[in-house]
Amino acid sequence: MIKKILTGLMGIFIALLLGALLMLLQGYNPIETYGALFQFSLFRPGPFATTLKNSVPLILTGLSASIAFASGVVNLGQPGQLLMGALAATLGGIYLDLPAPLMIPVLLLLGMLGGALWAGIAAFLRLAFNMNEFIVTLMLNMIADYFTAWAIAFPFMDKGANSPMTPPVNSSGWIPEVGGVNLSVLIMLIAVAASWFLFNKWRAGYEWRITGQNSLFARLGGCDTNKNFTAVMLVTGALAGLAGCLIILAGPHRFLRGLGANYAWDGIMVAIVANNGIIATLLYGIFFAAIQTGALGMELVTNVPSEISQVLQAVLVLVIVASRGVLETVVDRWDARRRVKEPAT
Amino acid sequence: MTDLITMQNMVKIFPPNVTALDHVSVEFRKGEIHSIVGENGAGKSTLMKVLYGLVPPNDGVITFEGQQIRFHNPGEAIARGIGMVHQEILLISEYTVWENIVLGVEPVLSLGRMDRERARRQVKEKIEEFQFNLDPDVVVNDISVAARQKVEILKLLYRNVSVLILDEPTAVLTPQEIPQLFAELHRLGDNGHTILFVSHRLDEVLELSDRITVMRRGKKIDTVEVGSTSKEDLAHKMVGRDVIFTSRRTPKTPGDSIFKIEGLNFKSAEGRDLLKDINLEVCAGEIVGVAGVEGNGQFELVNTIMGLSEPKSGRILVKGEDITSASILDRRRLVAFVPQDRGKMGSALYASITENASMTHHLLNPSFTRWKGLLMNFHFAGLFTDELQELFSVNMSSKDSPFKSLSGGNQQKVILGRELLLPNPFILLDQPTRGLDVGSIEYVHEQILRMRSEDRAVLLISADLEEIFLLADRILVLSRGTIAGVRRVEDTSVEEIGLLMLQGQKEAV
Repeated sequence: MIKKILTGLMGIFIALLLGALLMLLQGYNPIETYGALFQFSLFRPGPFATTLKNSVPLILTGLSASIAFASGVVNLGQPGQLLMGALAATLGGIYLDLPAPLMIPVLLLLGMLGGALWAGIAAFLRLAFNMNEFIVTLMLNMIADYFTAWAIAFPFMDKGANSPMTPPVNSSGWIPEVGGVNLSVLIMLIAVAASWFLFNKWRAGYEWRITGQNSLFARLGGCDTNKNFTAVMLVTGALAGLAGCLIILAGPHRFLRGLGANYAWDGIMVAIVANNGIIATLLYGIFFAAIQTGALGMELVTNVPSEISQVLQAVLVLVIVASRGVLETVVDRWDARRRVKEPAT
Repeated sequence: MTDLITMQNMVKIFPPNVTALDHVSVEFRKGEIHSIVGENGAGKSTLMKVLYGLVPPNDGVITFEGQQIRFHNPGEAIARGIGMVHQEILLISEYTVWENIVLGVEPVLSLGRMDRERARRQVKEKIEEFQFNLDPDVVVNDISVAARQKVEILKLLYRNVSVLILDEPTAVLTPQEIPQLFAELHRLGDNGHTILFVSHRLDEVLELSDRITVMRRGKKIDTVEVGSTSKEDLAHKMVGRDVIFTSRRTPKTPGDSIFKIEGLNFKSAEGRDLLKDINLEVCAGEIVGVAGVEGNGQFELVNTIMGLSEPKSGRILVKGEDITSASILDRRRLVAFVPQDRGKMGSALYASITENASMTHHLLNPSFTRWKGLLMNFHFAGLFTDELQELFSVNMSSKDSPFKSLSGGNQQKVILGRELLLPNPFILLDQPTRGLDVGSIEYVHEQILRMRSEDRAVLLISADLEEIFLLADRILVLSRGTIAGVRRVEDTSVEEIGLLMLQGQKEAV
């Protein structure tokens, strides 16, 4: 555990150093740039609240990918599941008008259902026709992309708007802010906690984890691997759907074209950086959201273009993923060398 | 005789903290057959791999012909005349014998064209020189495992090595094929070749070697002349205590029929018969051994019993219940199963020991779960793991550490414990001692015999005839997917079973 945190921090440190080098080459002052970046994301209450809010879809899609990957399910359909969840919640929000304490949970469930059903298609195709979920979920992303684009441009378009978007959801479905922090953050934290509990304490989670490591062992042990596969697909689809739903309810309150464009892919990236760990996904999700959020503020006070944040993200991913093995090997080697020096016993 | 190779104070530590070689010093003389014996994990293979340049040592000095050397890869070792034959045979099965032998060092004509005539002639000369009884023109696919092994050895001889390292070469051979290999090795020895022979089979080592080095837990225990030692002495040095080699099987009348296979047939996807009309029965308190060269239907037999593949026809019954097309979970209510490949079928290496020990129990024993099976009861699973550790004397630091951190023998004990603690009437054991050391094997055998005395029915699939003769009440020989014969252990001999195993096999060329 300590080793994990240590190698993670070392990875971040090396990545930031490399980023600084790139800035120096471009003629920017790295200390000033980093200062601005983190001022506008982590070290002030207002920006920190924004960072947290922005981290919600990142973490939820990351969680979706982490659980799927750790269970041996290659669900790469988070972008599509996010869109379908967002659409389901939006439509529910337009046509339903319940009191807020009822409205919000109903819309959350609708969003999760939208994502779960979309992922369920891939699960069904795998079980019925043995079609690889890897390719099916990727293809379903495209269908979801164009389907939602059509839905907001034709049947559900806001007649008063001049670009494709739905009307706003009824205000009882808007997720409020408390003390400057959007409550979607709380919902996300609950989802993370529930996922952790499911994955680590439930019998199903135990079987998923074992299946993710060695599906033949789980199968021979008597686990119903088909049922588990379907369950993982539905749960991870629901998480991605929840991400889409929360984007709508916490932010624009309506479905706009290009909504959540990169959140899901960034989420998958977070899962990979986090090595499919649930807590690690939460922490890295916040960190990546901070870089994305801080970039805008950084652009305001320095000359550095906000695109540098994408460069920084890429460097972070590469360094952390690559160094994970290397740093551990370095530690092990150092340990071995120390023991060689010990006298023969 | 002078020392051809010396290895002094060799140290190898595999991260994070496995000391494979702990200041090992050993000398090999020119022209001798020198065996290195030890339990699994004793470091014998590592020592050879260090010499061969496959594994870089952390410390130590190697000399060869008086010069200090260190090979960085096998290519350098071969160039200096040291070659190694691995346990797994790595040949291109579509190529002929001579093509395989010259592969990589082909004689060439101008413009890089291969001189096929010369290559073939050179190989033929080598075969004759060492009297290997091998046809250079047959395709490797068509020759026996023993013959393939000869090809591997010839490959090295063709490259003019003077030192041959053989890593457990007899593991894949039938009893009839072993003397032939030994005769060839002796001939090589007489020819001035130095042979380093890695094994844990003491009988073979005593028969073959001039000198024997015993290793235990990464340390060299002793190097002895073959004339001044005995099997018991070697075993004692290897394990660090006395080992009993004779069977402790007590006479016992088998009870009711528990497990039955009737008219089982299985075909490959291409329509080849892989199992043909298999009939067998195992009774309570009986151990039935399935002998046979690997690849003669054992794999398919296990898969159909466990429900991984569906038979074409036939029935599988446990206690009268037809499980031929039952779900795996329903089979697991009746069948305890120890697979031959621990990592592939028997465990999740990065999950904790407790999590590995809980598998299947978590579905059959309600104490392993709470809330009607919704939550795992890891507290109970932990207590169960403690009990398993106690009963099967598993050596582990913490039940929460990854399964991978256990040694092979302890991994097998956990798997065996998990399966034997299931209350199932029928136990299927597929090579339960493969890759284990003498001490662990002895222990596993004890447990299997205990199951027999508990009146459980045991089907033991093993490539190790010694094991089958030690444990089984009846021996069934599987050859090319059919049962070549069934014998009571009192009425047969290793030779007879060996002959049955070879029946219908491809002839050794």
